[in-house]
Amino acid sequence: MTKVKFLKSEFPIFQHYPDLVYLDSAATTQKPRVVIDGIQRFYEMENANIHRGLYDLAAKTTERYELVRCKIADFIGANSAKEIIYTSGTTASINLVARSFVAPQLKAGDEVLISAMEHHANLIPWQMICQQKDAKLSIIPFLEDGSLDLAAFQQMLDSKVKFLAIVHISNTFGTVNPIAEMIRLAHEKDIPVLIDAAQSIANYRLHVKNLDADFLVFSGHKIYGPTGIGVLYGKEEYLQQMQPINFGGDMIRNVTFEATSFADVPQKFEAGTTNIAGVIGLGYAVDFVKTLDQVVLQNHLNSLLQNTTSALKKIEGLQIVGTAKQKSAICSFVLDNVHPHDVATFLATENIAVRAGNHCTQPALETLGTGATTRASFGIYNTLEDVEKLATAVQQIKDFFG
Amino acid sequence: MDKRLKSLYQSVILEHNKSPLNFEKKEAASYQLKAYNSMCGDKYQLYFDVVEDRITNVYFHGYGCAISKAATSILTKHLDQKTFEEAQQICHLYLKHLQTDVLSEEEMIEEFEAFSAAQHFPGRAQCASLSWVETLGFLEERLKSES
Repeated sequence: MTKVKFLKSEFPIFQHYPDLVYLDSAATTQKPRVVIDGIQRFYEMENANIHRGLYDLAAKTTERYELVRCKIADFIGANSAKEIIYTSGTTASINLVARSFVAPQLKAGDEVLISAMEHHANLIPWQMICQQKDAKLSIIPFLEDGSLDLAAFQQMLDSKVKFLAIVHISNTFGTVNPIAEMIRLAHEKDIPVLIDAAQSIANYRLHVKNLDADFLVFSGHKIYGPTGIGVLYGKEEYLQQMQPINFGGDMIRNVTFEATSFADVPQKFEAGTTNIAGVIGLGYAVDFVKTLDQVVLQNHLNSLLQNTTSALKKIEGLQIVGTAKQKSAICSFVLDNVHPHDVATFLATENIAVRAGNHCTQPALETLGTGATTRASFGIYNTLEDVEKLATAVQQIKDFFG
Repeated sequence: MDKRLKSLYQSVILEHNKSPLNFEKKEAASYQLKAYNSMCGDKYQLYFDVVEDRITNVYFHGYGCAISKAATSILTKHLDQKTFEEAQQICHLYLKHLQTDVLSEEEMIEEFEAFSAAQHFPGRAQCASLSWVETLGFLEERLKSES
């Protein structure tokens, strides 16, 4: 198992930009050499389409492509590789579940339950199907510290609720939601649950079978892998029920001009040539993450968060947004009289990369009465030196704007 | 402090950010516009009182960064008491300055100069143009409906 402090050297971007203080891993993580090299090797030496060719290259690539599926199934504790669908990312995964699993069952007056801290990707697909079906989108509120109002949640779980879609870690507040407990409570009422694991997949070991999650979704690029590839995990019985929403090559069993029968799961959801290089890259990313010692990793990220929080708190007129007890290494803040975009532009001139804006959680921030925050989010390559640089620069901004 | 940064956050921008002109809600105004940038969440409401084709009062209110706030503050200053046509011309000048930085001496309005630096910062050019682009659209529509 690798010790975290040696990991920065595994990421080539920091060799090209030695002064880069990258605090935007919640938007996308940097890529380790093994992922970059793996993708390059694929295009140089292994490229062929899958499931079609009768020659060695194609057969080997198909094998690797399916091996990654097994790897991911094993990584998240799925029953079998059949339960792993490749998508273009978290957003596509959620849209597939909304349109193909939930919408066909939804009737007028039914409810879909989400929380007030969802990313737009876990809000709009549900809003759309609820509008179409005359159903209600119910929103679990959060408390002032950015933790979910669990008492309200329990009260909202009634017989009208047909589905619960909930984020594991809020990309804006860093709150870690108690998903195991929430799944248990929802299942008591026979409500299936989707977990948006976009922010947690890189840093937490998730076990879908132990959690009893019905669906779990994530993106490759937030787990040190490539963009444009993601995963939908679904319990096989549910995937079997679902109809594909994209039609084309590679997802069929038999086609005539009159009718088509579809392939079995998972292929029936993967129409057309998929992002093969993305899958290969994701496989290397999963291998990479598996080598990380979980205890060392958690201690490292926690120390980054604690140090950031205490350093920023010392700055007059700065408020941390999201102070839940259970938090991951994401720190949002606002500075009196200085807009987050001005903060981010200042930080950028110091080579500090952060995100500023609404983080695709517009309604959540409006609930708090703010339009935007500055967000520092951490990955395994960050150091305490990065935290010091951030705190020093933010203090300078405060002094400049007075 | 970084030189480029200094060119952006000149005193004119800092002053207008701290004490914006005409920063008031005027729900009873003849016209209200919304200037909203969905990417960053900057959101202003602009209020125009109009008598015939002349702007008699301009106010704004809302939330945004120093650049967008100062740019809107300056807009309210320069469009006050202007006819739609004059106002349209000023908007064109301002936006031309932002994009090309090549106004002639006669064309240049001193306070506009500070905003040209915005185009050299990733993602910040639209902070300087947000309210101006919305206002220009509004003016064009008014002029079209009058002709």
